[in-house]
Amino acid sequence: MIEFLQQAITGMMIGSLYALVAAAIVLVYKATHVVSLAHGQLVAFGALFFWLFIGGLGLPFWVGIFPAFILTALIGLLIERLTLRPLIGQPLIAAFLMTFAIFLVLEGVFVLYLKGETRTLPAFLPEGNLDISGISVPINQLIGFLAALFLFAALSLIFKYTKIGLGMRATAEDHRLAQGTGITVRNIFSYIWVLSAIVAVVAGIATANVMDIYYMLPYIGISGLIVAICGGLDSLLGALVVGLLLGVVENVGAAYLDPLVGGGVKDVAAYVVLLLVLLIRPYGLFGLVRIERI
Amino acid sequence: MRPCGVFDKSYGLDIAIIRTWQHWAILISALILLFLFPLFGSYYIISFMNYLAISVIVGLGLQIVSGYCGQISFGQAAFMAIGAYTSAVLTIKFGFSFWIALPLSGIMAGLVGIIGGAPSLRIKGMYLAMATIAIHFVVIWLILHMEITGSFKGLFPPPPSLGGFEFDTDERMFYIIMTVMVIMTYAARNLVRSKVGRAFVAIRDNDLAGEVMGVNIYHYKSLAFFVSCFYAGIAGSLWGHLITVVNAEQFTLMHALEYIGMLIIGGMGSIPGVFFGVLFIRILNELVMFTSPLLAKAVPWLGSSPAAALGLVAFGLALIIFLIFEPRGLAHRWEIFKASYRLYPFAY
Amino acid sequence: MGKRSAIFLSIALAVCLSVAGLSSSSFAKEVVYLSLADYTGPIAGLNVPGDMGLEDIIKETNAKGGVDGVKIKFIGIDTRYDVARAVSAYKRYRRTPRLLVVNSISTGIGKAVARLIERDKRLQIVPGDGEFQAHIQRTFIWGPAYQDAFAATLDWIMDDWKAKGNSGTPVVGYLSWDNPYGREHLRGGKEYAAKLGIKFLPPEFFPPGTLKHDVYLTRLAKAGANYIHAGGVDPTPTNVIRDAYALGLTKNIQMTCDYWGPTALGIGVHAKALEGTVITSFYQRGDESKNNPFVANLWKKYRGSAKFNEVYGMGMSWGMTYVAGLKVALKAVGYDKLTPDDMYKAYQKLAGFDKHGIQGACAYSPTSRRGSLEVKIYRVKGGKSVPITGWRKAPDAVSLHKF
Repeated sequence: MIEFLQQAITGMMIGSLYALVAAAIVLVYKATHVVSLAHGQLVAFGALFFWLFIGGLGLPFWVGIFPAFILTALIGLLIERLTLRPLIGQPLIAAFLMTFAIFLVLEGVFVLYLKGETRTLPAFLPEGNLDISGISVPINQLIGFLAALFLFAALSLIFKYTKIGLGMRATAEDHRLAQGTGITVRNIFSYIWVLSAIVAVVAGIATANVMDIYYMLPYIGISGLIVAICGGLDSLLGALVVGLLLGVVENVGAAYLDPLVGGGVKDVAAYVVLLLVLLIRPYGLFGLVRIERI
Repeated sequence: MRPCGVFDKSYGLDIAIIRTWQHWAILISALILLFLFPLFGSYYIISFMNYLAISVIVGLGLQIVSGYCGQISFGQAAFMAIGAYTSAVLTIKFGFSFWIALPLSGIMAGLVGIIGGAPSLRIKGMYLAMATIAIHFVVIWLILHMEITGSFKGLFPPPPSLGGFEFDTDERMFYIIMTVMVIMTYAARNLVRSKVGRAFVAIRDNDLAGEVMGVNIYHYKSLAFFVSCFYAGIAGSLWGHLITVVNAEQFTLMHALEYIGMLIIGGMGSIPGVFFGVLFIRILNELVMFTSPLLAKAVPWLGSSPAAALGLVAFGLALIIFLIFEPRGLAHRWEIFKASYRLYPFAY
Repeated sequence: MGKRSAIFLSIALAVCLSVAGLSSSSFAKEVVYLSLADYTGPIAGLNVPGDMGLEDIIKETNAKGGVDGVKIKFIGIDTRYDVARAVSAYKRYRRTPRLLVVNSISTGIGKAVARLIERDKRLQIVPGDGEFQAHIQRTFIWGPAYQDAFAATLDWIMDDWKAKGNSGTPVVGYLSWDNPYGREHLRGGKEYAAKLGIKFLPPEFFPPGTLKHDVYLTRLAKAGANYIHAGGVDPTPTNVIRDAYALGLTKNIQMTCDYWGPTALGIGVHAKALEGTVITSFYQRGDESKNNPFVANLWKKYRGSAKFNEVYGMGMSWGMTYVAGLKVALKAVGYDKLTPDDMYKAYQKLAGFDKHGIQGACAYSPTSRRGSLEVKIYRVKGGKSVPITGWRKAPDAVSLHKF
């Protein structure tokens, strides 16, 4: 039992990273109905900018994190303004493919900068393990986990109570109706990309804390996308729950199924979960079921 | 392509793919040129054309399911892998001849494609695209973990032979690949203008409306996936016997994404568009791959290797530019050109 | 024509022109070295510094007037770990008359290109797949095969186990990438472990880019592993060992790595976690490589103050081998008659060729495809990899496996 719990907790720590990336994707979807593949790169760039200020310039954590937010938000803004806005009115799949193109361009820049090397964040969080009745949890990951929970709570509150948040939800429902009630839809699009980029930076820093900044980092975007879809693209709660769940499934699956099938369960666990969810509940576990009309 | 003043005088002429004797002349001479090409073309161009033709076959399949039937699929590379492996297993382990294994590998990929396309019966658009990505990874995982597919070692299919004649060089394979490509193009061109093709378009434009009109969505969606994966399977089989090595590392998600990119650039819902898209992406790829060492020489501070990263940027930028400025792809340009040629020398 | 079309066409035109504007130049007497490398993918960390070393050797040789007046041209193609791209690239240069050596950096690419290499009577070099030693063909490997180096690690483990005063045999765990590279070590390595009487736990495999490796590490630890071998190209092994350190496993379990283990770059930043890790390498690592005068001079001349990575030295040894082979081939047939097949013959005569201490002496011969036979065991101490043995011959584990 202890062993199972240990695996589940380790999985949950990883799952919180997936959930953060998924949250960034869900945010964009909520207001613009664009499903973004590009977020993996936003995550990577967030981590890279953070490294530049903390590791490269040696600034303290709280000073270094703000320029990282600003620069990544700028990338988000540019993506929205230059590539996605011209596509308004076109089929949504075009926007999806556009985000794939953006992923490629940013990846090119990313590897151009890295030149095959690795960047490591200096340890800015306390190290060591926390032992709770036989289950050990690394403290720095626990802090990341709590930060993720906090961020989710904050986002939910923003969407529920602030004017901007309500405007975002209205925009998601119908652009023209939202415009009619005095919401500037274009501004909403910009805000949401900024907000999403900020979440991506947090995700990036938390991920880079676990694994170094290198070629594979942007690919956490795929896991994030899977979580976002399984959770139902418009549900923050779904992103959180499914994110944690996927982390647990991957880890527990690898722990108990690997010996049965000869290894490599982690490669496919996420995809099998995705297929099952899509077949059983096409709009995700927490997604809004939309009824189509001709 | 018709000059001004040529009109269709009968229904037969109106629906013909090839309408005038000039068309026939051009087509036949182009085919003759194509098949004589190995006699005078350089080796590199021939091998590159083989690669192009295989890509065209995969692209045609994708065009049918995505461009005509509107079901975006990112699984094309995996279905190509199924074709390649089926063909390799049949020829190596069961001693089938290539000529039987080729259609069987298409059918096998098509059948798996029906299973893989099953999610399309419940979901569409983005959700389906993600489901096909999942299918890609599951298929590749199975290939890597099964004994019959040679797991990590891969398989070594022999080159095709016919009556003692071995098709063991690029020049020789050229004939097989080109013949298959021409047949497949002809079939695709006809399929999309038949009842089936119209049903596909109805599903793409509005599946609910299509269903109300009497189109059996389940049947036609499955059929679209079958045909699409059949094409991918055939292409995979040809690819396997061309390079005589099959392993799972040859079929990556990046390839599947590239094929979708080809359709965007070539134009969704157009058979010539597949050719334009494949040509554009493959030539762009080659250019970037072979100019990046030169670029590194011209701009030494970049260093030789990172210049390669520009390949990714070039591909991405091409997609962005097309999506913004020409969402209907090169095929649309081609249509505009045809229309203006038809009006020449008159103008509106 | 509308405004949009005008923008579109001008962009298209600009792209075409800028591409066409670049053209190549060639020398009078020239031979070619082709590198099918992954500069932007999962193993870029290995390929980029490796090819830097090679390129600098070529630059240096050309600056001195080439080999008997023959200059070497380096062509580096980014395959992005993609077999189709690599095959297409090789076909592009296949008919280049004096393309003498192709370096295919990935197991999949090596296998796909090997077929064509045989037909072209050319010579290919690939990382470390023992398969190419088992079936002697025109494919050579860079150093000892993966399974040889792994067997050397097992030998060291036995010595260490006994030196610590234990009786019996240790329990060894293995975890690596879920791909052909990850499994290659065991084809022969497993048999060698059985020969030594080591209890070898069921191997663990994970996809490249896995975030956490706790599951695998704890399973191996639970099964009683005394030693765990972490495979993968850096930074993967670094990340695995960091996880093991966080779990507190490194206190009781000795971690080992193969020759793509942590480089100077990673060890510098994760000194605490990696402390004590043992790396079996066929090329010099850490300060030993940095202070090797032969390496240091070249690095200073062409790379200046950039951060040093020991894989650079290994890349130099590809270049040195190429230059040495070229000398032999030119002596045998002269430039005018030189064919790739002559280079193949020349490479087989290179046994004993000295590589300035970067790597053990060359071992290419008609019966050997290994780049060298010796390995050296390093241990991470205080943020540096320090040698704990001299060069020692790696056991032949390839012959134990039936390929």
